[in-house]
Amino acid sequence: MSDVFPKWTNKLPLRIIIGLGVLGAAVTMGVTYYFTPKYTRVGYQPVQPVAFSHNIHAGQLGLDCRYCHTAVEKSWFSNVPATSTCMNCHNQVLKDDPKLALVRESYFQDKPIEWVQIHKLPDYVYFNHSVHVNRGVSCVECHGRVDQMDEVFHAKPFSMSFCLECHRNPEARLRPPDKVADLKWKWNEDPKVAEQHQLEFGKDAVKNWKIKSSDHCSACHR
Amino acid sequence: MNNSESMKAARQTGPKYWRSLDHLADAPQFRKWVDSEFPSGAEAVADPVTRRNFMKLMSASFLLAGLGMSGCRRPEEKIVPFAKQPLGYTHGRARHFASAMPTRTGAVPVLVKQDDGRPTKVEGNDEHPDSNGGTNAFTQASALNLYDPDRAIRFAKNREGVTREAGLDAIKTIADQAAADKGAGLYILADQAVSPTRDRVRDLLLKKLPGAKWHEYEPVDHDIHRRAATEAFGLPVRPYYKLDEAEVILSLDCDFVGSEEDSALLVGKFAKGRKIDPVHPKMNRLYAVEALFTLTGAAADHRLRVPASAVHRVAAEVAAKVLTDAHFDKPGMAVVKNALVAHGSAPDVQSKWISACADDLKRHAGKCVVIAGQGQSEATHLIAHALNSALGNVGKTVDLLPVPAAKGGSIGELTAALSASKVKSLVILGGNPAYDAPANLDFANAMENAGEVIRLGYHEDESAPKKGWNIPLAHYLESWGDARTVDGTLVPVQPLVAPLFAGMTQIELLARLAGEAVFAPYDLVRETFFGLAGGKNENAWKRFLHDGYHAGSAKAPVTRVRLLVDRVTAAVKAADKQPSAGGAEQEVVFYPDSKVDDGRYNNNGWLQETPDPITKLTWDNAVLMSPATADALGLDNMKGFRDGQHDKILSESDSKVADFHDGEHNITERGEFHPEIVELSLGSRKIEGPAWVVPGMADNVFAVALGYGRSRDAESTGGAGRVGDGTGFNAYPLRAEDGMKFAVGVKVTRTGRRHQLACTQEHGTIDGRALIRETNFDKFTDAESGHADFAKGMNMPHPPGMEELPDHGLAYKNPLDDLRKNATHSWGMAIDMNSCVGCNACALACQSENNVPIVGKQQVIKGREMSWIRLDRYFSGDVNDPQMAHQIMVCQHCEAAPCENVCPVNATTHDDEGLNLMIYNRCVGTRYCSNNCPYKVRRFNYFDYNRRPLDDLYNTPLNPWNRKDGEWELTRWYKDRSKGNIDDDQWDLLALVRNPSVSVRMRGVMEKCTYCIQRIEAAKIAQKVKAGASGNVEVPDGTIKTACQQACPAEAIAFGNIDDPESRVSKLKAQARDYEVLDYLATRPRTTYLGRVRNPNPEMPDYREAPETFQEWEAHGNHLAHHHGHDHDHGPGESHGHDSDHAHDQHQNTEHGETAGKGGDH
Repeated sequence: MSDVFPKWTNKLPLRIIIGLGVLGAAVTMGVTYYFTPKYTRVGYQPVQPVAFSHNIHAGQLGLDCRYCHTAVEKSWFSNVPATSTCMNCHNQVLKDDPKLALVRESYFQDKPIEWVQIHKLPDYVYFNHSVHVNRGVSCVECHGRVDQMDEVFHAKPFSMSFCLECHRNPEARLRPPDKVADLKWKWNEDPKVAEQHQLEFGKDAVKNWKIKSSDHCSACHR
Repeated sequence: MNNSESMKAARQTGPKYWRSLDHLADAPQFRKWVDSEFPSGAEAVADPVTRRNFMKLMSASFLLAGLGMSGCRRPEEKIVPFAKQPLGYTHGRARHFASAMPTRTGAVPVLVKQDDGRPTKVEGNDEHPDSNGGTNAFTQASALNLYDPDRAIRFAKNREGVTREAGLDAIKTIADQAAADKGAGLYILADQAVSPTRDRVRDLLLKKLPGAKWHEYEPVDHDIHRRAATEAFGLPVRPYYKLDEAEVILSLDCDFVGSEEDSALLVGKFAKGRKIDPVHPKMNRLYAVEALFTLTGAAADHRLRVPASAVHRVAAEVAAKVLTDAHFDKPGMAVVKNALVAHGSAPDVQSKWISACADDLKRHAGKCVVIAGQGQSEATHLIAHALNSALGNVGKTVDLLPVPAAKGGSIGELTAALSASKVKSLVILGGNPAYDAPANLDFANAMENAGEVIRLGYHEDESAPKKGWNIPLAHYLESWGDARTVDGTLVPVQPLVAPLFAGMTQIELLARLAGEAVFAPYDLVRETFFGLAGGKNENAWKRFLHDGYHAGSAKAPVTRVRLLVDRVTAAVKAADKQPSAGGAEQEVVFYPDSKVDDGRYNNNGWLQETPDPITKLTWDNAVLMSPATADALGLDNMKGFRDGQHDKILSESDSKVADFHDGEHNITERGEFHPEIVELSLGSRKIEGPAWVVPGMADNVFAVALGYGRSRDAESTGGAGRVGDGTGFNAYPLRAEDGMKFAVGVKVTRTGRRHQLACTQEHGTIDGRALIRETNFDKFTDAESGHADFAKGMNMPHPPGMEELPDHGLAYKNPLDDLRKNATHSWGMAIDMNSCVGCNACALACQSENNVPIVGKQQVIKGREMSWIRLDRYFSGDVNDPQMAHQIMVCQHCEAAPCENVCPVNATTHDDEGLNLMIYNRCVGTRYCSNNCPYKVRRFNYFDYNRRPLDDLYNTPLNPWNRKDGEWELTRWYKDRSKGNIDDDQWDLLALVRNPSVSVRMRGVMEKCTYCIQRIEAAKIAQKVKAGASGNVEVPDGTIKTACQQACPAEAIAFGNIDDPESRVSKLKAQARDYEVLDYLATRPRTTYLGRVRNPNPEMPDYREAPETFQEWEAHGNHLAHHHGHDHDHGPGESHGHDSDHAHDQHQNTEHGETAGKGGDH
């Protein structure tokens, strides 16, 4: 009778418990990493129909973001420019470049270019560009160094905690409104000095501009 | 005292006014309804899918979910910018354009919101000189009509689709033929409109084609105002009532706050005279003589119920009383007086009522107005004009505005021509005459005698010719046109979108028929404008389109007028010979419905599902009658026409619980109504409809609403749309030319059959609490009476022990108090019950603004309607002659919100500005919040109403037999999860009407009024954008208007920052009349109400010492609290001490809500 459960089974409950614990931890870690926007979104870099390089236009040539994304200061939506905006320059510059064939086709045949959307929020989130850029939140805070990207990718996770991080601590990110579209701008080359400047400015801005970045649900959900 | 007794006693602490006859009788069915949160079956799982089946199917769906792991990756979406950027367009920013919604007698000036090229919301244009920005329910709902999936979307010949070119060729053929014949044989039947361009093009056509004949027809005779005034004064004029300048108003069956065409305008002017200035209180007095219980009757201070056929006799008696007074017996009036004095007295009429009313009019000569309604004969209107003339009101409270003289014959003459085969070509512009023409004409058949028929119609409905052409009519939001508002101001009709289905306007068709070279509506309207504005002035035209009106174009009133007394006497004498209802004689009254009008809004789901303001019926009409009339018929009215065989049907239904689709034999339980069908006959004409008792209606009157009873035929052509199909019964077959408004001599018989109605009058009932607070004007202004503070004086006792708690009866410190100190605004709302007339405009505005779905008749019966605004209607007093009160009930945004405490997932929380938020993406649908809401204002999405056809809600995608086009619904859903199994055409169109700033809610989430949070946030963002690097972030008062507030023609709703003592809402809340509903619960609602003040005349026989609701409240042992005088000037948040000597005094005047200021700042 004593052979029914051999001796090694005495350790079985402990092993099961440990095993389950390890498995549970692995699942938890897996879910928190792989099932969150940090993994599912950051790095998303679809191929666009036209190989437009932000690096060349915004970075090297120094075009202001708002030359193309004209609605960003007026609307919740920061528009992708109409083809006519491209043709403002490209009817002179590189006017026969084969890489721009689609742009010319679009313009002359009045056929829109279908860009692939990269940054997208769920339908129940109502984000507004205009209120952020007019009140000293730079493009770079959410979109990263687009001026260094040849092909744009999703740089930040855009999760709710990502939004709240800034909404709960706006001092650390506010900058003078005229520097909003300057993605490479820093208070100082020395990070420590820069942080000092940032905190002073941030505190003043929050006080004087009456920044009350809401962390209530109504800020984004309607 | 046992438990049930104490429960009952608790119920009776407050007043007892009632919403339905069952409520009055406290019938067990009603009690069952009140005691449970939701009516029958609302919380029961009654799905035909068994648990076992469910598990089986769910495992299949889990499997699919596993396969669909790729779903974790977002689907690729495209951004499609313009190729060439249009000027002045910014994606994501709504644009507003001024336009006007044409009506039969004028237009409603509107501002239309356009989101990314599609019109989504219609609002009143408050810059128009004769508008306060208010609209009526129809204007609000008209946006949905644009996207009606059943509108005419094609050119059709013989009800078969053809190309547009073929249709245009047909028009050309007729035009060429008419040109050759000089118009002989061309007959045009048009609806009524006040459009200078249409008049101009019509005149052009008639000049070119002198043989052509123009006829006009409208099933509802709003033109009577113009006709009667023209008759009375011998000039083409129309009365324009300045109700705001009248101190006494006598309505002769004129529902000017309801069914009159210019109701939005008239409500605004009437409400202006009822707003009480706390410093110099003053208000108008309204007498109403009417057959039905209308909204005007509900607003009236004195109401006399007489059959519609006897109203002119009452009018004559009032006039006789006035004219026999030497002071008003003006020269020339003697003839009228003699006619009137000789006039027999009206039956069943209290002469004391009449003489006291006449005395009041005489005391207010020149400051009063008598107004007759569209449902009255010309005689009543002429008497009203005689009274206004004698009393010197003309030019003061009523202006006579010149209008173009009428042209054209009647539909009767047209039918005669058709029968005589004189009509070569018949052109029908708008309307639906085959459905709504007088029954004796049999117009539908007569139409077939025409050689050729072209019909310009919004639907392919009954009038779409079986032999001939149906051309799609453009909606006003996609048309160029013009109109004149009632005051004569010229307004443009501008398109917000190109015609969705290549629809044509009336003016274009007329111009094409006339063979004009220029037929583009834009050019036609411009030409008219230049003609009227004196020359080709481009800037004036641009200004006209921008402002939405042509400044200074209002008509100057005709001043030199003389009443043609012999015409009045002739009319009175003729009318005298007509029979009136009373005694054994009974009458039927045909009235335009509050929701579908004459049938033109029959396919509008928003309107169909909005409860009628009086009957609270949805999706149906009924034969309305008074309790006494119902008794005489042997109908058991005190049971409110609930099924007498209640138990029987209940047991029957047990055997077929799952049969939800059989409307006639549904599960009968609480809250359901199965009234008996009665037959109405006038000679050989008969109709049948369910009987419905309306307390307070005149006896011997049966009232039927027009516009229902349409069906859709198998080929889906030539009938109603999918929404209106099968709703109600058709009253038109009973209506003939000799009795278009009412007919005496109707015979009514019971049929024994029953029909189920969806009535919301008991939904969300709060029983036995002082919800409605009213007093009389004389008491309100009398400091001694203690009524100055009646609203707060009626506060209820708190539960024992609550008073001892700190912080005004809250057991815990309100976390909002700390948040509020830091907030920029504190939002609040005040609703003035003295101005509210219950017109439903707010409810429709909310529906349109907030993407509120409709649920269908069967779901309404279960109490699952989604409308965020519930307009509660209460009767009080004698069942035969009660008083009525309205209360708009929405989320109160309680500071100490009971809903928030019980949510297990924090899906409803507060923000710092005092909004009670509802976070749809967090909600898991426990419905605890709704259960715990004392105001019953939360709505639950039991189904995916936006993505499922309403007649197929119960058919779950998991059901293996749920197939569409041979494909399992679940498979189809997996392939395209963006839409449900709603028909493609409906889906594509209805998606366009949605407001992009508001989430469309899915199945399983709770929703409720948000104070239009999207508007609040938009205003705050706009202010912050403006502020930039500055601290100017406070939104100025008046910037934000909630949708209901914007639509309210009475300006009864104020919304704003209650921390700003200068804001309109703060000023209203500071008034003595301000009170909180269910104050004793200490929920501290942000929405408060201003008590209603009635202004009765002590000399009247029906004078009530106090309003019925107040009397009932007192009858339950309540009395107004002892006062510390007028206290509308006390500091914000100040509370009166509790006098411990009166510990048993139930009504100490403790103000619990700190309605006007931040806590702790005094």
